[in-house]
Formats: sequence, structure tokens, C-alpha cells
Amino acid sequence: MHFKFITIIARQEWASIFRSKIPLALFSVLLVVSLLATFTGWQYVSKFNHQQKNAHQQVHDQWMSQPNRHPHRVAHYGYMVFREKSPLSFFDFGLDSYVGNSVFLEAHRQNTVNMSEAGFSNGMLRFGELSMAMVLQLLVPLFIIFIGFQTISGLKQNGVLKILLCQKASYLDILIGKTAGLTAVVWALFLPLLLVSLIAGNLLITGEIQGETLLRTLLLTFLYALYFLIITILVVAVSAMSKSSKNALMVLVLIWMLFFIVIPKSAQSLGGSLHEAPGKIAFEQAIEQDVSEQGDSHDPDDPHFASLKANTLKKYGVDSISHLPVNYGALVMQEGENISSNIFNEHFDRLISIYKSQNAVSSVLSFIDPYLAIRNISMNLSGTDFDSFTAFQKQTEKYRFEKTKKLNEIHLTQIKYQNDSKQKVSAKNWQEQPDFAFQPLTINQNLTAGGLSLTALLAWVLAGFGALTYVSSKRAYQL
Amino acid sequence: MLEAKNLTKRYGSHTALNKLNLSIQPGEIFALLGQNGAGKTTTINLFLGFIEPTEGSASINGISVAENPQEIKKYLAYIPETVMLYPNLTGLENLEYFSSLAGFDYSKKELGGLLTTAGLQAQAFDQRLAGYSKGMRQKVGIAIAVAKKAKVLLLDEPTSGLDPKASNEFSQIIQSLAANGTAILMATHDIFRAKEVASRIGIMKEGNLESVIDASMISANELESLYLKTV
Repeated sequence: MHFKFITIIARQEWASIFRSKIPLALFSVLLVVSLLATFTGWQYVSKFNHQQKNAHQQVHDQWMSQPNRHPHRVAHYGYMVFREKSPLSFFDFGLDSYVGNSVFLEAHRQNTVNMSEAGFSNGMLRFGELSMAMVLQLLVPLFIIFIGFQTISGLKQNGVLKILLCQKASYLDILIGKTAGLTAVVWALFLPLLLVSLIAGNLLITGEIQGETLLRTLLLTFLYALYFLIITILVVAVSAMSKSSKNALMVLVLIWMLFFIVIPKSAQSLGGSLHEAPGKIAFEQAIEQDVSEQGDSHDPDDPHFASLKANTLKKYGVDSISHLPVNYGALVMQEGENISSNIFNEHFDRLISIYKSQNAVSSVLSFIDPYLAIRNISMNLSGTDFDSFTAFQKQTEKYRFEKTKKLNEIHLTQIKYQNDSKQKVSAKNWQEQPDFAFQPLTINQNLTAGGLSLTALLAWVLAGFGALTYVSSKRAYQL
Repeated sequence: MLEAKNLTKRYGSHTALNKLNLSIQPGEIFALLGQNGAGKTTTINLFLGFIEPTEGSASINGISVAENPQEIKKYLAYIPETVMLYPNLTGLENLEYFSSLAGFDYSKKELGGLLTTAGLQAQAFDQRLAGYSKGMRQKVGIAIAVAKKAKVLLLDEPTSGLDPKASNEFSQIIQSLAANGTAILMATHDIFRAKEVASRIGIMKEGNLESVIDASMISANELESLYLKTV
């Protein structure tokens, strides 16, 4: 490899692309589309967050303005929690449109997250949303194909490659030089656009740039740079292996369809059939069944609650629940809460692990489809991935459990067992409870979740250069 | 300088080139005549190292082509039937690009000198190649070969499609290159041009080199009848 020759060839490739008008025309179309995608993404997210803020405020006000009440009525009054969209969600919608962002929290019940965009679909989703990430993942490869398919095959057809190969530069120098030139063009056109859109959109949505968001932005830019490099290597390799530009274009378009339609769709159904997940109804029924097997607090003869009663009486050294210094009703309710919450968490964890195994299928397939790799890691870093969603669901259940437990404690200590339902406690008791705030995953957690995809992306770069070396060593690909 | 020993290329059962034995000295121009498919281009591709011989060997300057495909590129230059190069670049830029890839760093003046040597008129230097005639492009191809200081020149039907004047100029240029010690192998259909320019002429048929004639010993008409008899 001669670095000097590679530079000369790369420079010539760069110059020849910019001399022709078609690449720039294509680029302007993509520029308009991605600006539009960024703009609509930003508008959607900021509108969404604004609405949610209002809804949250309303819920909170209602909660705070409850009169002095019986604590169990408060527990049933319920509370609604929301998840703000992540600052980078305008860039990559990820799963956000399909999973919910709010949960109604109440005593006894573990509600699952509701209100997804797909649930309220206004038709736009059915046509497929256009995010900037999608433009970069799907359309930029097409752009690379169109500017690069004839980069070597064209030279074969007009005989220039033979003359080039008769100079001192080796075929590998030529292939790497071409790759470098094309990649430089793609980077120069799209990376600044990506960086500026990410920073501008983030500034508009949050009004500031946090260190972590900046780090995510830089990582995303770097990973998309790798992705473009991989696609360019692929285009150059196919072009070098083709006898004519027509063949190269045909093969590349086929690969595009394979990578961007066939494999992702198959990954989905393969994951679904390998690891079958229960439906929502089956999931809830299974929980209900387990709960009723564990113990029914309303059944006086239920063995679990009978032993709870005996133990409590023994603990306080009294012979009847009416003589207990605490409210036995509240104790039973908390016990029921413990049981159902445990069971729910168990089932939920099992469900999550099924979904995770499904997602792992697509992570593994990243090794044969770089699009899956960038799609997964881009979602992770934008905070719109599956793990962000499950983190929300888990945090809400934890918050619900603690809120209810607190109310049961008030019930336990401040409400007498006799004449239970006629008593009230001060509203201060629940007004002092902390509000829910979603803790997004840290960048480390996101990167760990995307580890396999990240490895796949790096493996693709290495494999790409390996492929170029292989192609350059074959005489058959020189003619 | 150029040597083929029992050089054979087979594609399956088809023999494209059969036991070619040929040696071309510095300063010699060897013209290969023959119909399409006679094995002329196969011979040139074997010398260029783009295909591997089935049997025998091709060597340049005593170095085996098959074993050192990169090494022998130092010595040779190649001009195809149609020199396309980069239509978006000017003649001078094309020459600059290709000679820099051969490891030479010429000044603009030197590049201009090379184009003049190749017979290109000065006012065309800074015009884009897209506007060049075939003959003008061929001259840029020659300039690229000269710029490389190649000791061996391989030409694949270089004069086909050239008008008689351009063709004649071309002949003069390659003769002056040979006079400076370049060994030249030229595949052609042009019997008259072969007789004019070559020192020796070989006639090929179905992969075999049927006869080799000293160009000074034969007239164009005799050559033509020999050619027709052979093929």
C-alpha cells in the first residue's frame, strides 16, 4: 500500500464527484428531506413534551388538592405518571411511536404503559414516519450506491482501469483510494448536517446542551461515519467485482433490498417465532391466576392470610384483631400489595426477557446486515430503545409500590380498625410524597445494551477492508 | 526485453493461445496480425499480467510476469484501442494524474513537453478530454507511456479508427520511441501500417503464431496475400 497513491486517487475521486452535477442534485433532495425530518421530529417532540407537561401539572394539581381523606381512598384515587421524550428522540424515533409514555398508577393494580402513538395512529404512522435517522440509515446508502456504483466498473468498461493498473499504484491502492475519496465526499456532505441538526434540535427542545447529550451526539456522529464507510466499502467492492456498471448497479440495488427490507423483516418474524411472547390479555390473566393462588385477602379461610393473622396476634400478644394497636385491614392490604407486586415483577421480568431474546436475534443478525447494527445502536444512544421503555415501566411500578405502601402505612397507624371507613387523615400526608421523575438510562447502560451491535459495526469495517484486499488480489476482478 | 516461452492460455477446452515463443529486443517493433479471436489480445493481457498463463511463461526484462505482476509494471506501458481516460479532466491533468500514479512528479512545463513529444498541439493541453478526437486522446495515451519511461510498450490495435493522418503521426511517434530503445509489441488489423512501422511481423491464427516475417523483406501486397492465405 502506498499512502501517496491512495491520496492521489482519493483526491481525483473527490474532484470528479463534485465536477458532476448529479451527486449534488441528489444531495439537495436528501438535504431537504432530512431537514424536513428534523423539523417535524423537533416539532412533534416539543409539542408532545409540552402536552405532557400540562397533563402532568393537571394530575399533580388534582392530587395535591384532594381534601382530607381516608388514605385508602387516596390510594384508589390514583396518580398518572409520564415519561418525557429523550432529548435526542427527535432524531431517531426508535420504538417511541409504538410504546407508551404514560401509566395510571393505583392501589392493587399494576397497569401497563398506555397511549402509544400507534394506538392513536392518525395515519401518518401507517405510512411510515420519516426521521432523520431513517434518512441517514436508508437513503444515504442509496446515495452512496448512485455516486459509487461505477467507480471501478466504469473504469473497466472504458479500459482506464488497465492503464491505471499499468502505473505503479497497485489495485489495492486504487480500491482504497476510491473508498477514501467516496467516503470523504459522503462524510463532508452528511456528517456536518447530522452534527448541526442534532445540536440545533437538542437546543430547541431542551434549551441547553448537557455534557451527556453532547457525548451522545458525538458518538452518534462517529458511528454514522463508520456506517457510511462500511456502505462505501461495500459499493466499491461490488463495483470492483462487476464486469459492467449495469451489473454493479443491479447487484447493489439487490443488496439494498436485502439489507433494508428482507433481513430486517425476517429478523423480526424470526425473533417472534423463536421466542414467542404472550399477548397482553394472556399476560394479565397469568398474573391474576398466580395472585389468586398465592392468597385471597378477601377469603377469611385463606391459609396464607389465616397465618398472617395468627402471627400478627401473636406478635402483639392480643387475642383479637380489634385489640391490635395497628389497623389490621391496612396490614392485609399491604400484604396483598407485596404479593401482587412480586408476582407482577416476576411476570414482567419474564416478558422482558422474552422481548430481549427477540431483540437479540436482530443484534446477532447485525453481523450480516450493517443496517441492523446502526439501527440498534442509534436507538440506544437516542434513548428510544427497548431498554429505555422497560426502565420506565419498572420505575413506575417501583414508584407505585412505594406510594401505595406509604398510604398503607398511614392507614396502618393513623386509622383505627373500628369504624375504619368513616375516618379521615390530613391531606398533608400525601402532599409530602415525592413526585415521579423518570430516570433515563445512562450512556454506559445504553452502550452496554448496544454492545453486540457496536461490535458488529466494527467487525464490518474490518471485514470490509479484508474484502477489498481479497478483491484486489484476484486477477479476474482486474479485467 | 519481452519474452514468451511456450506461453499457453486455455479456457476450459478452448485454447486461446497455444505455445507462443517470442522474443522482442529493445528498439524492436513487433506487429501481431490476425483476426478477432486469434489470440492477440490474450498475448498482450498475458504480458500485462491481467491473466495467468495455463502453461509456459511470459517475462519482461527477465522477470516472470505471473510471479511478479506488480514488479513488471515498472517497465511497461499500455495503450488500448481507445484511450478513454478522464473526460472531465484536461489533457494536461490526465497526464499529471497518471504519471503521479506511476510515481513521477513532473512540473507543468515537463508535462507540456511530454504532450508535445506525443504530438499533441499546445492549444489542446488545457481543454477537457471530452472534446478531444480519438487521435488526440491516443496522443495523451502515448504521453502517459513516455512519462513512465517505459522500456516496453504494449499496444492493442492503437490505430484502428484513426484517420490516415493521425495514423501516420502515430506511426512516426512509436518509431521514434523504438529508436530510443523501447521494445514495442503491437496488435493490429492494419496490414499496411504493420508493414510501415514494424521491424518484424507475426501472423496469428486460432491461438497459434503461424509465421514471423522480417518487415523489410516483404512488400505490403505480399504481406496481404500471405495474411489472407494464413487466416
